[in-house]
Amino acid sequence: MTTDATPKETRTEASAVTADPTPSTPVRPGPAWGWIVLGLLVVLVLAGSTRYLEQNVPAFFADTDLAEIADAIEYPVYAILLGLLGNVLVTLLGVRERIAAAFRTEFFIKTGLVLLGASINLSVIASAAGPAIAQAILLISGVFLFTWWLAGRLGLDEKLRALLAAAVSICGVSAAIAAAGAVRARREQLAYTASLVILFALPSIFVLPWLADVFGLSDAVAGAWIGGNIDTTAAVTAAGALAGEEALQIASIVKVTQNALMGVVAVALTAYFTLRVERQPGATRPGLGELWRRFPKFVLGFVAASVIATWYLDVAGADGKEVIGVVNDLRVWFLILAFVSIGLEFRVASLREAGWRPIAVFASATVFNLVLALALASLLFRNFTG
Amino acid sequence: MSEETPPRPVPPTTPTTTAPTTTAPTAAESTLAINEDWAATILGLVLLVLVLVGLIPTGLVP
Repeated sequence: MTTDATPKETRTEASAVTADPTPSTPVRPGPAWGWIVLGLLVVLVLAGSTRYLEQNVPAFFADTDLAEIADAIEYPVYAILLGLLGNVLVTLLGVRERIAAAFRTEFFIKTGLVLLGASINLSVIASAAGPAIAQAILLISGVFLFTWWLAGRLGLDEKLRALLAAAVSICGVSAAIAAAGAVRARREQLAYTASLVILFALPSIFVLPWLADVFGLSDAVAGAWIGGNIDTTAAVTAAGALAGEEALQIASIVKVTQNALMGVVAVALTAYFTLRVERQPGATRPGLGELWRRFPKFVLGFVAASVIATWYLDVAGADGKEVIGVVNDLRVWFLILAFVSIGLEFRVASLREAGWRPIAVFASATVFNLVLALALASLLFRNFTG
Repeated sequence: MSEETPPRPVPPTTPTTTAPTTTAPTAAESTLAINEDWAATILGLVLLVLVLVGLIPTGLVP
């Protein structure tokens, strides 16, 4: 469908003053800087409020019946809810479209993902995560292919298929962002996928530890099951903590291993969409240049950050962990900014337009993920000693 | 990268393209996304280095 009839307008046309009668069609009329600054201010205030709630709500409810729930609710929930609230307010005030240029969801989350690389210590994965790597590869492949197949059967758009499959199989919103970059998905599709991830991650924080208890799973198996199932890293941490200390450690390793495979999936999706999905019939085979052009470059930053942090921890030893903790705080801030922006950008129309089928795909894929992850965790971690 | 720009032929009856938001990204949007990728990569790595060398100290980030 690519109607790329117009040449790229990235040249600096010093001589272009010679009036070109054809009107140029800008993507978005450049908004005034004042409005952008105001928009950024809105995003920052909501992000600050999110951080405040995340750090203080557990204390507010410490001695009540809601203490457990308050402890388990993580920043993505507050951020999206406050973003939605902000969305309603700026819409009522009639300034939403004017300040929308400041809602840079992708930029915030990509920066957050580069910083996420710093929390991935390659040496820990290499030494402690043999079964985790095996589980991650098998689980991601199985769940991705199942979701891709089911979404195809239900006739979903190719790009939404890629987003949903990446989100369910790897690590939720982060993976969806990586996939969106690779397949050049639309903003609404990304916001929609992110909303589904959050919607399904919330109950799983409580349901999975409870089910692990019901099934009588060992800590290691419970941790591997939780880490392989819940999509957002924050929710994995919350659920792992509910299941116990060893479960939390295993869950974190499994999740981090899956996160580390995000880059591989991004490369594969880039290649698939370039060579198969968007290739015109009869067109020449796209070269490496086209693949490189479409590749989500921030994945390189993610890998570089993880190499730098691994080297740093080797050199700095135990003191290094506190420093990496600061990087993790920065990462959380960027992810909060991203989730707030998702809330601010959210449009009910895009949900209505998408209909029930993506929800059916996501729900079915989640159940498939639960079953496959339980089988793999029981098999690979049954004799695991930390 | 040809330098000469021949007069652009007028496209045949271009329909009024008030492109709906449900179209694929335009070339300009893709370029923007690529630049955004690099900007995020650079900012992320710069922040990481600033933390590692101590310019962003422990306790500064709330």
